[in-house]
Order: sequence, then C-alpha cells, then structure tokens
Amino acid sequence: MSAPSSLEALIEALRCLPGVGPKSAQRMAYYLLQRDRQGAARLGQALTHSLQVLRNCARCNNYTEDEVCERCQSPRRDATQLCVVESPADLNMMEQTHVYQGLYFCLMGRIAPLDGVGPRELKLDRLLDRACDGVVKEVILATNFTNEGEATAHYLGELLRARGLSVSRIARGLPVGSELEHTDAGTIAQALVERRPL
Amino acid sequence: MAALKNRVLHQTGHVLHTLPYRETSLIIEAFTREHGRVALMAKGARRPHSSLRGVIMEFLPLEFSWSGQGELKTLTHCEWLGGQALLRGRALMFAYYMNELLLRLLPREDAHPALFDHYAATLAALSIQADAADEVLLRRFEHALLRELGYGLHIEHCADSDESIQPVRHYHYEIERGLIHADLRQGAEDGRLYISGRTLIALQADDYSEAETRQQSKQLMRMLLNHYLNGQPLQARRVFKELQEL
Ligand SMILES: [Zn+2]
Repeated sequence: MSAPSSLEALIEALRCLPGVGPKSAQRMAYYLLQRDRQGAARLGQALTHSLQVLRNCARCNNYTEDEVCERCQSPRRDATQLCVVESPADLNMMEQTHVYQGLYFCLMGRIAPLDGVGPRELKLDRLLDRACDGVVKEVILATNFTNEGEATAHYLGELLRARGLSVSRIARGLPVGSELEHTDAGTIAQALVERRPL
Repeated sequence: MAALKNRVLHQTGHVLHTLPYRETSLIIEAFTREHGRVALMAKGARRPHSSLRGVIMEFLPLEFSWSGQGELKTLTHCEWLGGQALLRGRALMFAYYMNELLLRLLPREDAHPALFDHYAATLAALSIQADAADEVLLRRFEHALLRELGYGLHIEHCADSDESIQPVRHYHYEIERGLIHADLRQGAEDGRLYISGRTLIALQADDYSEAETRQQSKQLMRMLLNHYLNGQPLQARRVFKELQEL
C-alpha cells in the first residue's frame, strides 16, 4: 500500500532542505502531521508569505521587504566603507561586533571552481557596480578563511583595486583569549606566516 | 579480527573535494599516497565545534585513518602534517584545476605513489609561488598524470614508421595513433594540431624553457585531456578564464 499522494508530495518537498534524505523527510512529515499541526500551519504560511514579500536589497543583496533595506538607507552608517561577506549569517556576526559602522554587500556564496560557481553564477558584476558608486572608498573583504573564501577575496581584491578602490582583508589569527598550547597547529602556522611588526 | 583487517592507519594524503552529507557530516574525496583516491565519510565534521573543522582543507598535507570495506569508508582520524603555507591567488586556481583532473580521471582505490609525489611537490611549489604561479607546473603535472594513467603520449617516434623525431620537421598529432609527418606546404587543415619536432624533443625531456614548447604543449595537453574527459569541460578552467576576463 502506498502513501496518499499529498503525503508523498510533502515528503518530497521536505527533501529540498540541505542534508535531508528520504528517511529524514518522512520523519519530519509525520512529526508535523501527528505532533504539531499548528506549527506545520505556521510554517506553511511563513514560507508562502516570505516568498511573496522578501527579495534581495538592490544595494547590499541581503534579504529585505523593500527595494533598498533599512540599513542601506540609514544616515548613521558610513557609506564610504563597504564590507563584503559570503552570507546573511556572516553579516549578522559582523553586526554583533558593534565595531563596524559601514555598509555591506552579501555575495550569497563564494567562488567554488569544483562546484561550478564562478563570477557569472555569483553575479560579481553587481558587486563591482555597487562598489563603484563613487561614494565607497574602502572595501573590506570578510569572506571565510577557507580556500574558496581566499580565492574569492583574492580576485575581488584585484578587480576592486583595478577600479581605484582601497581594499583590505579582515585579519586572521588566534582566537581572542586563546593560549598557544590549546590552539590547532594550522592556525598557529598561518598566524606565524602572517605575523606583523610590533 | 575482521574489524581490524579493515582498518587503515596514518595514510599521507590530500583532500581533493568535499561534499556535505546528511545534516552534519561530510564526504571527503581524498587522494592518498598508498591507496589512491578514496571516499571517506567524516561524521559530524560540519558541527560548529568539530575538531575536524580547519583540518579538512584542500591542498594541505594531511594524514588520514579510516575503516570500512565498501566504497565509502568511515574516517576515524585526520591530522594536519604541516610544513606548507596556505595557497593564495593564482596558485589556488591552479591547484583546483589539478584537483578536478584527479577527480575526473583517477579511478577509486588505485594507488599511484609516483603521481601522488608529483602532485604533493607541485602543491608545495605553488604555496611558495602564490600569485606568480608558473603554468609550466601544470604542464608537468598533466604530463605525469597521462603517463601514470597509462595514456602514453607516444611522442618518441612517428606512428607510421619507426623514424625518430626530426627537430626541423613538423608533425600532426592524432589521438590514440600518435605522430604523423605533416606536410605544411599543403596548408594547415581545420582543427588539426601541428607540432614542431623541436617541441616534441623538448616535451620528451619535460623541458619547457622555449615559448614555442609552452604554447604547443598546452594545445597538445588540452586536446588529449579533452579526449580522455569525453569532451566534458573542466569547471576550474572555465571559472579561471571568466575571472581573468572581468
Ligand atoms: Zn541593503
């Protein structure tokens, strides 16, 4: 006996989530139907609603309900600085530091040659247009310290410098409050390579 | 005893690529010296505080231990061997290109220690050259890869006779056949690759000091690789080309 088609459709739909295979999808579907029908209804409405109203900010590419998001419109932000991050989660982390007052550009990805993600897939021309608005003076590259994040930062740096902008990369080093003894060898090695004069 | 027999310990290797697996795990395509290309499942490697984060990185010398019999093994330990800085700039793109070639052409669990040593030495050279990375490293790697996979270049003599290569003559290269004397007076035909005898002699010795050798060997390697890749284009090459065109 096979499952009703609507149940099958729900299970199939849940599989679009990253890392969710057929078994997990089935577990989620049964959980929502048996244990949390209200939660399921809220989830359904929230998904439909957000898909209708959320779009990418014309300036920072982050999600917003307006043409240009609140942060990009704020007069309190320093419009001469533009920080490039890979994802909205990274942007939120930067904001939590409260030390950065400039604006952002969210790439929604990184250059990943083996996954077929290049400048075209990332729409890098949009970032170049944004950075060359005549107001931005410094671009801070805050992509991850992975090989893909490094490759992204390297090429962005070259492209932006060629357009007369000052480019910097966030520094890499030991975690705050850490002791050498308890830090991984890779981090220490790179901190040594990138040591600075005192 | 059965469980012990399937345990492989302390294997020198490199990560070629990783894929997310289930909620928190990772599948590593690794290239090891003694076991060739192996697929390893790293359980929980994507958890925020996993000790494997920052260790499982492409292009760095690592040591792997695993267990299991099937095609997908379970990673039991992974350690950073050190001694090599992270790659930067152009060198990174060259390294991705090598990884893609290995992923596409190297069969699983087929040991190629000589190729591994060549690959590891190329990565070490790239880590020093960074943005001044020399394309000759890639030509030598492609040559070593084709040789190791048994796709000989057959550039020592003509395919239709045993006549040795004359530096002043020109040759036409035909895949799986080899070199044929080319009569340039008839004019070059569409899509055919012509190589000078000088280039072929230099290629036999892996000597890329002449500009002509670098240019013609690039064309020859591209033609051969394209054939063995069944005409499927390389992503790393496309991305690198697009980045240079921006
Ligand atoms: Zn915005």
